[in-house]
Amino acid sequence: MDGHQSTIKVEGPVARSQLEVFYVTCWVTLVIFILVGAVLAYASIKFKARTTAEEKSIPPEQGHGNPLIEIGLIGASILALVVIAIPTLKGIWYTYDVPEDRKADTYEVTATGYQWWFKFDYPSEQIAGAGALATANELVIPAGRPVRVNLRTIDVIHSFWIPKLAGKVDMMPNRANHLWFQADQPGYYWGQCAEFCGDSHAVMRFRVIALGPKDFNDWLSQQTAPARDVAPPRVATQDAPKVQFASLRTFKQNETGHTAKYDISPLDAWKAQQFPEKGESVALIAQGKALFKEKACLSCHEVRGHGYAGISGPSLTHFGSRSTLAGALLENNTEQLHRWIHNPESVKAGNKMAKGYIDNNIKLTTEDEVALVAYLQSLK
Amino acid sequence: MDAILKSDLQVKDVATETKSSVFWRPTAQTGLISWLTTVDHKKIGFLYGIFALFFFLVGGFEALLIRLQLMTPNGTVLTAQQYNTMFTMHGTTMIFLAIMPLSAAFFNFIMPLQIGARDVAFPRLNAFSLWTFVAGAIILNLGWFMSAGAPDAGWTGYAPLTSKAYTPDHSVDMWIMGLQLLGVASIAASLNFIVTIINMRAPGMTMMRLPVFTWMTLITAFLIVLSFPFITVALVEIMMDRLFGTSFFEVSGGGMPILWQHLFWVFGHPEVYILILPAMGIISEILPTFSRKPLFGYPIVVFSGASIGFLGFSVWSHHMFTTGMGTVATAAFSLATMAIAVPTGVKIFNWIGTLWGGHISMRTPMMFALGFVWMFMIGGFSGVMHSAAPADAQQQDSYFVIAHFHYVLIGGSMFALLAGIHFWFPLMFGRKIGEFWGKLSFWVIFAGFNITFFPMHFLGLNGMPRRTFTYDGNLGWNSANYIATVGALILGVGIFIYFAVMVYTYFKGEKVGKDVWDARTLEWSLPNPPPEYNYRVIPTVHARDAFWYMKQNKEQIAKEDATHAKEEAAHGGIHMPHQSIYPFVASLGMLIAGIGISVMDNDPTPGFWGKKIGVTMIGGVVMLAGIYFWALEGNGGYHLHPENDGDESNGKKPAKH
Repeated sequence: MDGHQSTIKVEGPVARSQLEVFYVTCWVTLVIFILVGAVLAYASIKFKARTTAEEKSIPPEQGHGNPLIEIGLIGASILALVVIAIPTLKGIWYTYDVPEDRKADTYEVTATGYQWWFKFDYPSEQIAGAGALATANELVIPAGRPVRVNLRTIDVIHSFWIPKLAGKVDMMPNRANHLWFQADQPGYYWGQCAEFCGDSHAVMRFRVIALGPKDFNDWLSQQTAPARDVAPPRVATQDAPKVQFASLRTFKQNETGHTAKYDISPLDAWKAQQFPEKGESVALIAQGKALFKEKACLSCHEVRGHGYAGISGPSLTHFGSRSTLAGALLENNTEQLHRWIHNPESVKAGNKMAKGYIDNNIKLTTEDEVALVAYLQSLK
Repeated sequence: MDAILKSDLQVKDVATETKSSVFWRPTAQTGLISWLTTVDHKKIGFLYGIFALFFFLVGGFEALLIRLQLMTPNGTVLTAQQYNTMFTMHGTTMIFLAIMPLSAAFFNFIMPLQIGARDVAFPRLNAFSLWTFVAGAIILNLGWFMSAGAPDAGWTGYAPLTSKAYTPDHSVDMWIMGLQLLGVASIAASLNFIVTIINMRAPGMTMMRLPVFTWMTLITAFLIVLSFPFITVALVEIMMDRLFGTSFFEVSGGGMPILWQHLFWVFGHPEVYILILPAMGIISEILPTFSRKPLFGYPIVVFSGASIGFLGFSVWSHHMFTTGMGTVATAAFSLATMAIAVPTGVKIFNWIGTLWGGHISMRTPMMFALGFVWMFMIGGFSGVMHSAAPADAQQQDSYFVIAHFHYVLIGGSMFALLAGIHFWFPLMFGRKIGEFWGKLSFWVIFAGFNITFFPMHFLGLNGMPRRTFTYDGNLGWNSANYIATVGALILGVGIFIYFAVMVYTYFKGEKVGKDVWDARTLEWSLPNPPPEYNYRVIPTVHARDAFWYMKQNKEQIAKEDATHAKEEAAHGGIHMPHQSIYPFVASLGMLIAGIGISVMDNDPTPGFWGKKIGVTMIGGVVMLAGIYFWALEGNGGYHLHPENDGDESNGKKPAKH
C-alpha cells in the first residue's frame, strides 16, 4: 500500500494524524474481532451436533440469557469506544485548521473545482493588471510550511484529496470550505477529485508539487512573469514550417496517457519540465500563436502577455512548465498534447473544450495541431 | 344457523352481490387475473419475492459489468457514461428494488403467520403497495430503452449534479419519479404492517412474546414511515427545480446544495437500518431454531434493535464528514455513530450466546446465518473505523467505503435474506432445498464475496476513489482490482447455483412435511404450503417460542383449539377478504402519471394541453378512479368452513359459502 495515492505511506502531519486515528480504530477493532471471533468459532465447533442422533436428542436447557453477562459486555464495548473516541476528538480539532502557533507561517491558496479540472489561485501573488496568479492542474506549494487551501467550486460538488498529505474536503457550491496540510519534504504528490461530479469524474485529477524555499520563490517569479515569447510575429511570415513530428498517432479509447518518467523520479522530471526544450521551431511557434487567436482558443484560455485573456478554461500562460494536461490526466508531452487537442471528447467525455469545438465550428488540420502543440509547449 | 349470530360482514356479503354489476369482484383462483387482483398476503409476498429476485439478478449483472470494466487499468468495456449509469443503477436497484422488496416479501409472507393472523390489516392496501412498487421499478428502469439513458447521477443523486443545468435529459426525472413511487409503496406497506402487528396478534401474543423477526418488521416499518418523508420532500424539491424552475438547490437562485445532502441522509441513514434490521430479525429466528435453544437475551436483542432504530436518526451527517460541517458538528456525529456500535455489538454477543450450549445442526440456512454473523462483524468494524471522522476523511468516497457497505449489505442483509429463503422455503412451498447444493452455493458465494470485497479495503487505503470508470496502472491498484473481478465472477457463479437450485427445488425438490426444522415460532404449526386462511383456529399463545411450547403441551393446546373452533364456527366461519382489481388500477394510474411527469417532453406549442400535461392528467384520472371505486366497492368478503386442518393433500377443499 505504497502507491502514489497511499493513505498509509503519508508525508505530512495532517495525513499522519488521520492515519494515527485509523490505526487506533484498526487495533481496537482487530482485538475485539479476534476475541469475539474466537468465541464464535469455538461455540460453532464445540456445540455442533455431529450425528443425526445428536440433533434429535433431548433439547438443551431452554434458558433465555444472563443479564450480568449482557451488562458486562455492554460496559466493555463502551470502554473500547472511549479508547477510539479520545484520539478521534483530538484529530477532529487538529485537522480542521492550522494550529495557532503555525498560523503566521501559513501559505494560503484557493482551489476551485471545474468540470473536470482544478484551478489554483495564489492571493498573495498579485500581478499588476491581472489579479492573483492563477494556474491549473498543478498546485505548487512551499515544503515544510502549512498550506491553507480555500475550497471553491464553479459548478457541481467536487472534493479535494491528496491522500499522502491530507484527507479530503468537499468543494461545495455556496459554501466556503477550507482544508490545511503540510508537505514535510519537497516532493511530487498525486491528487484526485473524490466526489462524483459527472461524466469524467474519474479523470479529474491534479498534482501537488512541494518545493524548498529557493525553488518555490524561483517558481513564483517565473509564474508571475508574462508568458514566454519566442516568436516575434514578423518571423512567422517568412518561412512556413513543415510538419515534423514522427510521434503523431491515434490513441485507443482510454489509453494510458503517461510514461514511467514520473513514477521513477517525479520531482526531477517536473523540474526538467521548467526549461525550454532544445530545437524549438520559432516559425512553428509563431504560427501556433496566430492560430490560438484564429481558432478562438483565446475565448476560453488566457495567455498573459500574449494578449489572450479567456477565463472559462484553465490559464495557459505557463502551460509548458506543467507536467500534466487535461485535468492532470495526460502527461504534458508532444504526443499527449496532440492527442488532447486533436479530439478532446475521446480523452475526456463531456468536457467543455470538445463542446467549444462544435459550438465555434473549430476544425484543426494536422498542421494546425502541430503548430498549436509547439506554441503551447513553448509557454514555459 | 341462527340469523342473530350472523356477523355484520355477512350482511355486507349480500350487499356486494347485489352491486356486483357495478363493482366487479374478481374470483379467479388461477391465471393472470388472480395474481393482479390477489389480496392474500402470501401471494403478495411471493410476488414481492419474485420481483426482488429478478431485480437482484439485474443489479448483479450491472455489478459484473462494473467489475469487468475495472479488471485492468484503462479498461474499455464501458464508456464513462455507461459506467456512471451502471453504478447508479446498480446501487439504486440493489437497495430499492432488490433488498427492500425481498425484506418486504418476508414481512408479507411470514409476519402475519408469526403473529397468528389470517392476513394483514388492510389486504387491498397491501396489493396497492406491491403494484406501486412495480410501477416505481418500471419508471426507474425505463431509461434503458430510451435515448436519455438510465439515471447516471449516483444513487445519492447529489444536487446540483442532478439539476437541469448539469443533467438536462430525462434520466434524472425518471430516477426522481421512480423513487417517489417506491416511497409511496413503502410507506403504505409499512403503515399496514404496523397496524397489523399492533392489532392482529393472536390471543396471548404479548409484545414481549413477539418473534424477533416480527419485532424487527415493526421497527423497520416505523423507520420507513418516519424516514421516507424526508426523501419525499427532497425529491419533490428537486422535481420542482427541474420542472418549474424553483431554486431549492439552484445556486444561481440562492439555493443550497448541502440541503439535499441533509435531507437525503436523514432518510438515507435510517435506510441503512431498514436494510439490515429485517436481516437481523431473520438471523434471530434461524440461530435459535438450529441451536434448539431460545434466543439468548431476547429483551436485550429487541431493545437494541429499537435503540438502533432511534440512534439511526441521529447519525446521518457521518455521511457528510467531508462537507466542512465544522468541528463541533463533526465531533457530535462522530460520537453518536460510535454509540450505535453498542446495540449492534450486543446483538452479536447474544447470537453467540444463543449458540453456546446448544445442539447446532449445520443446515444450509444455519451456514448462511453464521456467515452473516462473521461478515456483519467485519462490516461493523469497518463502520466503527468510519465513525472516527479524521480517519473517515481519508476513507470517505474511497473503495474502503465500498468494501464496508458491501460487507454490511451482501455479507449482512443479502446473506440473511438468502438464509431466510432456505429457511422458510419448506413452509412456503412444501419442498426443501437439498443440503449438498445449498451448502455448495453457500461456500461459493462466501468465497466469491470475500475475494471480491476484502481487497477493496486495501484499494481504498491505497487511495482509489469510488465511482471512477478508469484508473491508471501506476497507482498500485492493479492486482487488487484484478482479484476483485475474479471474485465477482465466482460470486456470480455462486448466485447462479443458488438460484438454479432454488428453481429446481420449486418444481422437483424433496417434499417435506410440517415443521421440517423442529422450529419454534407459530408459522411452523401450519401445514405447508399454508392454506389461504392460514389458521383454521386462531392459536392461543402461552410462551415466547409459541410453537415450541405447543409441541411440549399438546393436550392443553388441543383442548383450547377445540373450544376456539366452536366459537369461530358460531361466528360464521373464517372470514376472507374478496379479491379486488382497484388497487392495481390505482397503481396503474400512478405509473401513467409518473411516466407523464418524468418521460414526456413538455410540448413547445402554445396552449395548456401538451403531451406532458395530457398523459399526467390521464394517469391522475385513472388513479383517482381506482381509489374511488376501491373505496366504494366495500370490504366484501366470504366465509370458509374448513373441516380439517387445511391439509389439502387429501383432496378435500374447504367448504365455501
